[in-house]
Amino acid sequence: MKLLLLLAAAACAAAQSFSQRGFLESTGVFYPQTAPNDSGLAVGESLFRYEAFYKLTDLRFAAGIDARFDTHQQTDRSLDPSWFDRTRRRQPLAVRTFNATYTHGKLTFEAGKQLIRWGKADILTPTDRFAPSDFLNVVESDFLPITAARLTYGTQSNTIDLVFEPRLTPSRIPLLNQRWGTPIPIAEAAPDFPGAPQYGARWNHIGAAAEFSFSFYNGFDHLPLFRLTPAFALQRFYPQLRMYGADAAIPLGPVTVKSEAAYFTSTNPQSDEYVLYVLQLERQAGEWSFVAGYAGQAVTDHRSTLGYSPIRGFTRSIVAHASYTIDTNRSISVDAVIHQNGQGEWVRAQYTQAFGQHWRATAGFAIIRGNAADFIGQYNRNSHALLTLRYSF
Amino acid sequence: MSRSLLVLVTLSLYAQDPRQIVEESQRRGRSNSQRYEGVLEVIAADGKTSSKSWQSFRLGSYGNSKAVIRFTTPAEVKGVALLVLNHPDRASDQWMWTPAIGRDRRIALQDRSTRFFGTDFSFEDLEERDVDQYDFRLLGEDPIDGAPCWRIESRPRQTKTSQYTLSHLWIRKDNYVAAQYENFIKDQLVRRLHAADIQNVQGIWTARTLEMADLRRKSRTILRMQKLAYNVPLKDDEFTVQALRREQ
Repeated sequence: MKLLLLLAAAACAAAQSFSQRGFLESTGVFYPQTAPNDSGLAVGESLFRYEAFYKLTDLRFAAGIDARFDTHQQTDRSLDPSWFDRTRRRQPLAVRTFNATYTHGKLTFEAGKQLIRWGKADILTPTDRFAPSDFLNVVESDFLPITAARLTYGTQSNTIDLVFEPRLTPSRIPLLNQRWGTPIPIAEAAPDFPGAPQYGARWNHIGAAAEFSFSFYNGFDHLPLFRLTPAFALQRFYPQLRMYGADAAIPLGPVTVKSEAAYFTSTNPQSDEYVLYVLQLERQAGEWSFVAGYAGQAVTDHRSTLGYSPIRGFTRSIVAHASYTIDTNRSISVDAVIHQNGQGEWVRAQYTQAFGQHWRATAGFAIIRGNAADFIGQYNRNSHALLTLRYSF
Repeated sequence: MSRSLLVLVTLSLYAQDPRQIVEESQRRGRSNSQRYEGVLEVIAADGKTSSKSWQSFRLGSYGNSKAVIRFTTPAEVKGVALLVLNHPDRASDQWMWTPAIGRDRRIALQDRSTRFFGTDFSFEDLEERDVDQYDFRLLGEDPIDGAPCWRIESRPRQTKTSQYTLSHLWIRKDNYVAAQYENFIKDQLVRRLHAADIQNVQGIWTARTLEMADLRRKSRTILRMQKLAYNVPLKDDEFTVQALRREQ
């Protein structure tokens, strides 16, 4: 009897330490125009994400998976599970998170597959170096987790973050045979991934009047440059990269000013050296939320001839976000990136409505216009409408 | 007899000082920590209702406390959390953690009038302020739900730190529980917080149901506190921005 009571108590305690969440989301994307390398006008995709958390005093464990499928061959049809996310296409089964966290006083140590976000800006974050993304659809990107060890030490006001990533997880770039990719007349060779690790450090200060941080990263760019192989094939490679960054958030009367800047250098002779910076103002008023700013780029040493970087491609732009909460269940939002030279612009509007405790529907459209020589403008045939239905649990 | 009379007179004078009434109310509500599970019912102007729930943890008491509110339902906001660090001499600091994007965001002072995640509580309504941050004036006596109360006007000393120009609060004479707040912007009554289901929990008189009405939107939110407990063991390092991410 005592044993039964003990087991019941243990089960109860375990249940209190376990939590889970996830969703099943299906999206239809509808394009009114065909693209030179893609005659399809509609893409359907579904994503199931499940994350579980278990807490054991000072130890925490997290595990999560992504299972996905689409109608447009953006997802591999092989069911091999993926750990490092280095595949050209998305994996039907991928490990989203799998990590352990140990906390002792001011120290937190986290190891395994995890999402690591640096920086304070919202629309473009130059210092966010441990956050590769899935850019298959360029404007609808999602962050990819990395395999890393992360040590955080400090109090609320001052923290130091040390990150070691033994193996680069690259960003996923558009597929060449689909509408977001650039059609090229030559074959694509197997990519040349770096073998060395990357590491970084960030000091963050939270003060009464402002927050700021300084960061350093040494490793490789998660976005590729291209080179021609002797067999005349195009090969992706990921150049060495070093970053010196800073970010700050300063509440000033009517608005909060956020700024973020990073200087990138490289030992690779094909890689540019440049500065990316963002200055944004944000304000919430009643049911409205506004963010507006400028994302800039200054190339200090121009070397590269061929590369692919949506992060740099979205700079030299006015960036803006506005949202309005209609009521508890409904909201609308508008995002925009407009190049300062007027050669490229992307505007997205979305309406979202929740139904009960689990369902949410989102309908929206994105307009992309501009010159084919411009990073955004090159996608001027990819304006689209989308409809998403999500069941969360 | 004369001693009893002296005590009565002293109590009477003491009770007429609005600042001391509020101080006494806060003193009686003091605990080392508090934990509860909140069930929220949001009722829109058209009568449509939606429900949410959160877990609330608080360390310390009025003026210098730290609190974390973490949503548990609906499913799509599960894990969203708010950290509130209250200060004795100024407005609180607040950060919100959104697990879907893996980012924390500081809620600037000028943004505190915004509704908190679709409820009728604003971010400012979730902070606790020390008596030293207000000037008080006794307006008289006025019963709430049949219980005799002192009606007190409070005005923030640093006007820029609050969306409200002034508040009226009703403090019950029998147990010093704040039974109602009315918050004004200029002369307009904008929010009313009504406390009900007042119970003695571990020696502390506590309103277990709070109803916040937004009189401009004509909507209201009812918060019911379940599994309420005081003086539970909580660690200081659970109330940091780092902990928001860690405890997702």
